[in-house]
Amino acid sequence: MIHFDNLGKAWPDGTKALSDISLHIPRGQFCVILGPSGAGKSTLLRAVNGLMHPTQGQVRIDGTALTHATQKQLRRRIAMIHQHFNLTSRLSVAANVLSGLLPVVSTPRALTGWFRSEHRRKACGLLQRVGLAPTHLKRRAGDLSGGQQQRVGIARAFMLDPEVVLADEPVASLDPKISRDILTLIRDAAREHNTTVLCSLHQIDLAREFGDRIVGMRDGKIVFDGTPAEFTDERVSALYHGAHWEDPPKKAEPEAAGFELAHV
Amino acid sequence: MQKPIPVPAPGSQVHWHLDAPYSLRHLLIIAAILIVLILTGQRTEMDKMVMMTTEAAGKLLGVADDSQVVRGLSRVATSMWPPVLGETEEISRLPEFKRDQLPILSRIEVQERVEQRMNTETLQLEPHSESVEVLVKPVGYVVSVFIKMIETLEIALWGTIIAVILSAPLAYFAARNYSPNQASYTAARGFISLLRSAPELIVALFLVLAYGFGPIAGVLALGLHAAGFLGKFYAEDIENADKKPQEALEAIGAGKLKTLWYGVVPQVLPQYIAYTAYILDRNLRMATVIGLVGAGGIGQELKGRFDMFQYGHVMTILIAIFIFVFILDQLSARIRNKLI
Ligand SMILES: Nc1ncnc2c1ncn2[C@@H]1O[C@H](COP(=O)(O)OP(=O)(O)OP(=O)(O)O)[C@@H](O)[C@H]1O
Ligand SMILES: [Mg+2]
Repeated sequence: MIHFDNLGKAWPDGTKALSDISLHIPRGQFCVILGPSGAGKSTLLRAVNGLMHPTQGQVRIDGTALTHATQKQLRRRIAMIHQHFNLTSRLSVAANVLSGLLPVVSTPRALTGWFRSEHRRKACGLLQRVGLAPTHLKRRAGDLSGGQQQRVGIARAFMLDPEVVLADEPVASLDPKISRDILTLIRDAAREHNTTVLCSLHQIDLAREFGDRIVGMRDGKIVFDGTPAEFTDERVSALYHGAHWEDPPKKAEPEAAGFELAHV
Repeated sequence: MQKPIPVPAPGSQVHWHLDAPYSLRHLLIIAAILIVLILTGQRTEMDKMVMMTTEAAGKLLGVADDSQVVRGLSRVATSMWPPVLGETEEISRLPEFKRDQLPILSRIEVQERVEQRMNTETLQLEPHSESVEVLVKPVGYVVSVFIKMIETLEIALWGTIIAVILSAPLAYFAARNYSPNQASYTAARGFISLLRSAPELIVALFLVLAYGFGPIAGVLALGLHAAGFLGKFYAEDIENADKKPQEALEAIGAGKLKTLWYGVVPQVLPQYIAYTAYILDRNLRMATVIGLVGAGGIGQELKGRFDMFQYGHVMTILIAIFIFVFILDQLSARIRNKLI
């Protein structure tokens, strides 16, 4: 589903945020990206929908390379859930969810807010699915609690039945209980639609609990790739506290290959 | 127990220190400012202003004998008071006058009029009295000022509407992060500067030549200038708006216009309303002035009366302007509170 081919990113100031990343995420997988701050997790996710353009290599979605020409079409199939929810805070919850449809709605409809009734029904259905009440529809998004805002963010992300969901630290600003609820919601909604999820996290326990697969990054390189069971405590401390990547912990090549074989 | 403030032990070395607050540089700056003030003050006759004002204050306190300022002001003040409320018109000069259909709040009076006439025999001027019928409207002038004021309000309103309509696309092209390319950005910014640099009164002067006397020139003059102002501020708000919602919409490929409409406009709406209310407020005040060059509204009336030395009428107009601006201030404050 998602192929990273020798992806590299060097910022103009010389920072190498990604170097030589090759990775394949099969369809329907919940892949968690872990790694210390500055490891390049956000940069990697943003390469998938072209919010960041790599300086080397490419990203392929279902075989189509992401370029300026294909980006517009590909972006419709890729939703994103953000750490800070990124809702339009002064707009109603309903309008925020409906804004997830903007790529496919005609400009006059978008400007007047006159969405088709099936679209409005879908928005209501998704809001119900993420656990919000009808009273929330007309509330300003900014007035909701963080957990509720992220639910709105999830509803917005699923409006276009995405094939890929990119979640960049979706629970970084939420309490542990709500974090678990939100991740459950993302995982279940993704399973219902056979959606591929690429999710960066800072919580090891949540990564083990929700990930089908864990990819550990450090200094722009992949230093771990395997199942949650293989992500042992030694590997955790190697990822976060271990020596610099030049002295890599055992890299889990076979599992990665296994995934490659399972889906092509 | 309060602990004593720790002080460096006597004899210990302190390696850093605080500079004295003023230095020679400050003195030089102050001297430079003084020189500029003295030079420009002389050229704008500030010394004379101070002298004349002191003289006026002295006259008011009974110390000085005479003051040009007080004389001038009191002459104007006495001729402006009382404000003119009514109107009288000679019935014989009203072409379509119907005696049984008097306009409301008016009555017919017979007035004695004394005129100096030439006696053809003695070739002397002799007083000659005559009675004429006049139509007296006790508040007639107030009503016509009111009507002019409404026209002024309409000019301000339409000037604002035109400004908003023009400035919306202008702001889009003048916002660095939305303008399609560098050329459109530079063009939009240039156009905005052009609009902003042209004062309403001077623009109106030219528009009166193009569209003739009346409100069209006024509306366009106000609208064009305000479009520059709004375009600049709308564009700056678009540039400074929170990037997060925009990124969310960009990420799914919503397109620029829709992203702007859903990710930016709701966020900056309170400021937009505040700017627009400010422009409406400013336009109302400008609309009263713009008539001075013939672009319609109360200003045109004011100019006419002023030129005919009818200061009583001028006073009525000034009071009307004050009342209107006051009411508008109250209203706009209330509307703003509701919307934000
Ligand atoms: N716009 C930019 N210009 C220059 N360097 C950048 C830019 N954005 C990110 N970087 C650098 O790229 C590297 C990777 O950043 P990235 O945001 O991907 O890290 P991250 O793993 O998401 O960290 P965190 O967990 O704190 O979110 C960092 O060294 C960062 O300083
Ligand atoms: Mg990040």
